[in-house]
Amino acid sequence: MKVDDPTALDVLWRCMVARIATLSSNGRPSINPLYFIYQNGHIWLGTADWTLAARNVKADPRVSVLFEIERDHTDHRILRISGRASVNTDREVWRLNERLTARKYILTPSGLRNYLIHFRLLQPMHYYHAQSAEKGRPCVIDLIPERAEFLNADR
Amino acid sequence: MLSILINRDHIANASSLPPMKHITRDIEPVDAHDLLERVPRACLSFASDDGPCAQSIAFVWRDGRYLVDIPETANRQPAIDQEVVLLIDEGVYFFDLRAIYIRGHAKPSDTPDAAPAGRRWFEVIPLKTVAWDYGTLREVKDES
Repeated sequence: MKVDDPTALDVLWRCMVARIATLSSNGRPSINPLYFIYQNGHIWLGTADWTLAARNVKADPRVSVLFEIERDHTDHRILRISGRASVNTDREVWRLNERLTARKYILTPSGLRNYLIHFRLLQPMHYYHAQSAEKGRPCVIDLIPERAEFLNADR
Repeated sequence: MLSILINRDHIANASSLPPMKHITRDIEPVDAHDLLERVPRACLSFASDDGPCAQSIAFVWRDGRYLVDIPETANRQPAIDQEVVLLIDEGVYFFDLRAIYIRGHAKPSDTPDAAPAGRRWFEVIPLKTVAWDYGTLREVKDES
């Protein structure tokens, strides 16, 4: 199945947190939850270039990513997309990704409510992001999907 | 207000901030044990000939053991003793994001009580466990 299949796109549009599996240069596995945007046939996962996910993608571009619809407990579809990814630190790209991410995850009633409830954590959050910036640059893991398949959710 | 929420220009100019504090999201794994009991989302990662494999799983935490069932229909399975990473996470919005991340090895296991028979269960023997909770972001003593 291709990623532009309507059933795959339906999951991609409704999923909020992707879980990306990667391999290190010596073949050790990892898997990390990341926010993502589906953009013109690409999947952009926002992170920073010092993180394990980004370092692994630089070492081995093959990735396997799971998507599910977290907010609908009656929909048990799990979509797995495999493909090749690259790490993009271009300022214009990550700034666009920041804007799209803010629109998806913050500038919604639920997103704003989450921030308002945790208002006291906004300053620590800014320090946390700045701390990340001292370690490296923000980046986008740019995934070009090659294969999509549905897995049976088995809980 | 919105600029507070989404303006991350300071990422490119961290030196404009006051002296850096060390902020952590990390929590003790024991404080994420509720995830092991509720299992909001569970998945496993391992290497295969085709690259990394992310696999949705059924998970049971029984007597401190991490028991994992991969559907027999899955086209890829971890080998015995192969290194795997188990991730159990929850949350959608930033301050709700929590996870426990367990790196270990896969060992064959008996079927847990009350689980469907005739399935292939593994136990993840942990080597390293970390957990995080963005709702607990806080300053800690800088150990660097």
